[in-house]
Amino acid sequence: MMKRLSAVLAIGTVLAAWNESAVAPLGTYRPAERRHWAFQPRKDVVPPAFPDAAAKRWARTPVDAFVLEGLRKAGLEPAPEADRTTLIRRLTYDLHGLPPTPDEVAAFVNDKAPEAYEKLVERLLASPRYGEQWAHHWLDVVRFAESDGYEYDTHRPDAYRFRDYVIASFNADKPYNQFLKEQLAGDEMDAANETYVVASGFNRLGPLRKNAGNQEVASSRTEVLTEMTNIVGAAFLGVTLGCARCHDHKFDPIRQSDYYRMQGYFAQTHPHDIVVASAEEQAAWKATVTPIETEMTQLRRQMRRASEEEKGKILTKLEELDEKMPDPLTAMYAVKNDPKAMTGIHLLGRGDYRNKGARVGMRPPGVLLPEAAPEMPLETEKPRLKLAEWIVDPANPLTARVMVNRIWQYHFGRGIVSTPNDFGRMGTMPSHPALLDWLANRYVEGGWVMKPMHRMILMSNAYRQASRSPLEKAAMEKDPENKLLWKFNRRRLEAEELRDSMLAISGRLNGKAGGRSVMVTIDQELVKDLKRPQYWSPTRDKSEYDRRTIYMIYKRNLILPFMQVFDSPDTLLSCARRDQSTHAPQALELLNGKLSNELAQSLAERLLRERPDTEARIDLAWRLTAGRPPSAPEKALALRYLDDGPTNPEVLKEFTLTLFNMNPFLYVN
Amino acid sequence: MPEHIRYNRNRREFLTDCFCGTGSLAFASMLAQEQARAARYNPLAPKPPHFEAKAKAFIFLFMAGGPSHLETFDPKPLLNTLHGQKRPAEFGDVQYQNVNSASRILGTKRTFQKHGKSGLEISDLLPHHAGIADDICVLRSMHGDMVVHSAAQYQMMSGRVIPGFPAMGSWIAYGLGTEADNLPAYVVMPDPHGTPEAGQPMYTNGFLPAVYQPAMFRAGKRPVLNLELPQGVTLERRRKTMDFLRAVNEANLAAEDTEFAARMSAYDTAFKMQTEAPEIFDLSTEPKETLELYGVGGAQTDDYGRRCLLARRLVERGVRFVCVVAGGGGAETEWDAHSDVEKNHHRMAALTDQPVAALVKDLKRRGLLDSTVVLWGGEFGRSPESERGQGRDHHNTGFSMWVAGGGFKGGMAYGATDDIGLKSVVKPMHFRDLHATVLHQMGLQQDQLSYLHQGRRERLTEVHGAIIKEILA
Repeated sequence: MMKRLSAVLAIGTVLAAWNESAVAPLGTYRPAERRHWAFQPRKDVVPPAFPDAAAKRWARTPVDAFVLEGLRKAGLEPAPEADRTTLIRRLTYDLHGLPPTPDEVAAFVNDKAPEAYEKLVERLLASPRYGEQWAHHWLDVVRFAESDGYEYDTHRPDAYRFRDYVIASFNADKPYNQFLKEQLAGDEMDAANETYVVASGFNRLGPLRKNAGNQEVASSRTEVLTEMTNIVGAAFLGVTLGCARCHDHKFDPIRQSDYYRMQGYFAQTHPHDIVVASAEEQAAWKATVTPIETEMTQLRRQMRRASEEEKGKILTKLEELDEKMPDPLTAMYAVKNDPKAMTGIHLLGRGDYRNKGARVGMRPPGVLLPEAAPEMPLETEKPRLKLAEWIVDPANPLTARVMVNRIWQYHFGRGIVSTPNDFGRMGTMPSHPALLDWLANRYVEGGWVMKPMHRMILMSNAYRQASRSPLEKAAMEKDPENKLLWKFNRRRLEAEELRDSMLAISGRLNGKAGGRSVMVTIDQELVKDLKRPQYWSPTRDKSEYDRRTIYMIYKRNLILPFMQVFDSPDTLLSCARRDQSTHAPQALELLNGKLSNELAQSLAERLLRERPDTEARIDLAWRLTAGRPPSAPEKALALRYLDDGPTNPEVLKEFTLTLFNMNPFLYVN
Repeated sequence: MPEHIRYNRNRREFLTDCFCGTGSLAFASMLAQEQARAARYNPLAPKPPHFEAKAKAFIFLFMAGGPSHLETFDPKPLLNTLHGQKRPAEFGDVQYQNVNSASRILGTKRTFQKHGKSGLEISDLLPHHAGIADDICVLRSMHGDMVVHSAAQYQMMSGRVIPGFPAMGSWIAYGLGTEADNLPAYVVMPDPHGTPEAGQPMYTNGFLPAVYQPAMFRAGKRPVLNLELPQGVTLERRRKTMDFLRAVNEANLAAEDTEFAARMSAYDTAFKMQTEAPEIFDLSTEPKETLELYGVGGAQTDDYGRRCLLARRLVERGVRFVCVVAGGGGAETEWDAHSDVEKNHHRMAALTDQPVAALVKDLKRRGLLDSTVVLWGGEFGRSPESERGQGRDHHNTGFSMWVAGGGFKGGMAYGATDDIGLKSVVKPMHFRDLHATVLHQMGLQQDQLSYLHQGRRERLTEVHGAIIKEILA
């Protein structure tokens, strides 16, 4: 009886929700739904203590104590500490995305000071290279790109300002709560502050569909709102909000009404380009645009009275004129609230803008609030700032956990929760729940700054372990995925690291930071594959081609093959964790590709220039690529290979190319 | 992440396959051993289907821009009767890009005839199709959700109206791997005129691992990127380089190191591709009769003919999915007949009709058609009303595609649109139904072929597609 009654009630609720003028119910959440670990407040945990001397010795930091506890419970032992050449290569890639120079390696290996390691960490954290490396992780998460995607893939030539903002924020160790607020609501915080305004461009990072004749204004607006909403769930909350767009979340207690109430925060938000061009530039631009616009207006007027046949000609003419429009003026891409252009937010059946259901206001997901928490009206002032403040409230159980988990993941290759954008039921359970809470507590207490978190992790013994254990076989049986960290996780270089390293090693890296993104000359076939090939206009100054990859353009419809083949994300959806795939086209790219061959050539020239004989060249080559001198067998193999012509350009280039392809270069131990 | 592809295996298995005393084995078995090893560490090694498959390979003849159903496979005599009039209200309303309430019905200048034993109706726009009438199953009741190119193309390719989701080809390579160890698993042959609206993201692997991304073939004799030796490097030198690389990697290889072993195997595969694939791209070994059948050398048919012939050669050698694109670079070089449907479609038909028919005939006589799904069509059809006088607008609510081979019935038309071809009214078939059905023929169950991404078990069909049993042989 009860069952039937609740079914009837449920149907009643559904029907009520499918009425445009009705107000969606606030929803109720069962205690079981609220009990999910990630929605619980963080626990005030203390690191475990150990009675025995061995444990006390190893557990040098609180992080170690938690890790050791997990290992012991599983009957595992940590691996011994990695040697210094391994550690400096690991740290330098981790914090800079670049290899250490042979001099840096030598200095660290020979540094007898007890705090040599600490000094190294501090040096790396203080360098601006740190911001470049860690910004690229964040850009993955927020799906940063410099073009719209979809058919025209219109460029956003000023999007680099957001990239530079992220790099600068990491380098300044900006507190994460501030960083988050600036991105979500910078314009609401202070519309006169350029940094804030650029940061608010975060809300516009998603792909954007524009169609010449598209009449689906409502549909496009829905897509824009969807992009703005979903990213908040993925990037900040670790909740797959997007799953509740079409129906209640299948696994997590996120109702469809929760989804649209989150969307409510963006109801007033509209794109806003703030022109920063000089007065002359603006005048010149206007002089070009005005006649085109005038003509277009006239044509549109004619169209109303035109016959079918004439209409066709007019449309063609309009399209031609559209192509003639110059690039927009230099601007800051921001958002602003326009209460007059507010979108009424409704539940949408199957997410379709045509199936409008009940109205909603704005409110965070109900499962994170007391039962029957009221919603706020869509007209609320500074709505996104209110959302941001709720997200960074120290009591929010998700925010700090999600971010420290990301930090942990980029250091160890695997998060404590291995699904960093999903802390819900379909995500994985934390491997070290107490450690996660302990770290998150320190993060919040410490004012949400990242560098102390890096130190806490990097100083640990857990981080300093070798990537192979003497007990490898037994440990593999017990914990094949190394969830408990019985050794360090070796990893393959990411696409950017690979390219940047080859540039650095061959002596060609152009260290210039910031500014407009670089377009390199590429295979014409690739350009031809663009709907608007004219957008690909290579940077004139060729020395720019050797800049770090983060300064290359991120174009949605043209991810460079080199990047794509090494698992660079497609920038269309948030990427929480990159794959490390292994397949033949990677080998073809590195063996036969233009980039690796050109840089191998430069490296060969460098070896000839800097070292007098073959043995010394082999030694330098290994120090540059593997971060260590060659082993005896490696040296013998190299000598034998170079025997065919130690200074022959073909042989020497193939030699250096081999080093770009060998595992000791491609992997970080 | 549990759903990420991992190649962790237990120690015993690993030792047996990989390092078990290759030196002590008889020389004759070494090659077999080598192959077994390569397969083991190649994520594209063939995988068993979920159930017995009818088809092993898939060729998609992608008619980009949206060919008109009204001029090809869906005869609507009423259109000519209503020519110049407003659309009668009883047919209802649909959303268009440019057609509006002032637009008028446009009759067709094409005539339809019954062909083959089946009597399937095909218009005189596609004379060569007449010869394959009994092999194709026209899907007359196709419909999709979007009326603009990019979004419609995404839906057709990936089941979603937004970019970022894996394409059919990536899903199928993910599900089945590939039988060819010297060729890519999933190939796209773009139109040399340029790209269709949705661009590169429509073909890609989305969130699936990069190993499932398509090989985008280029025009000309060397279609695969990076397959040729760099300038100034001899094959002899490269062989020595490969030996050197292998030796250095072996010097750094500890027991049970699956990842390093996999990478070494990737290099073996790459070298195999490099040495063997160019022969496959060389069409000069084909008999004259075959070249003529495809229209290779023909003024209009040469390009698409070459690409269709290459598609056959690829599936013959075990490539899993080939997409041969017809159209790209703008309305006039696609089936996007906004301003003049006659002129546009005659041009596109002249480029593709003969090669398409040749491909079906050639696959059939070689006994490959039964195991190869051939799909023909675009992201939508075209409007019954005129745009700009002689043109037709985009039209997603009812249009035609066809399938052949791969266990599909030939010589039939499935479903129907209304009397002016406006809406799919009899047995409407959505893209997701098409996806579910072709996956079924490839031995893949639509829900089982999934990948956990951001908390959702993503599938090609997004929600559930119907398997259309009626068109299966």
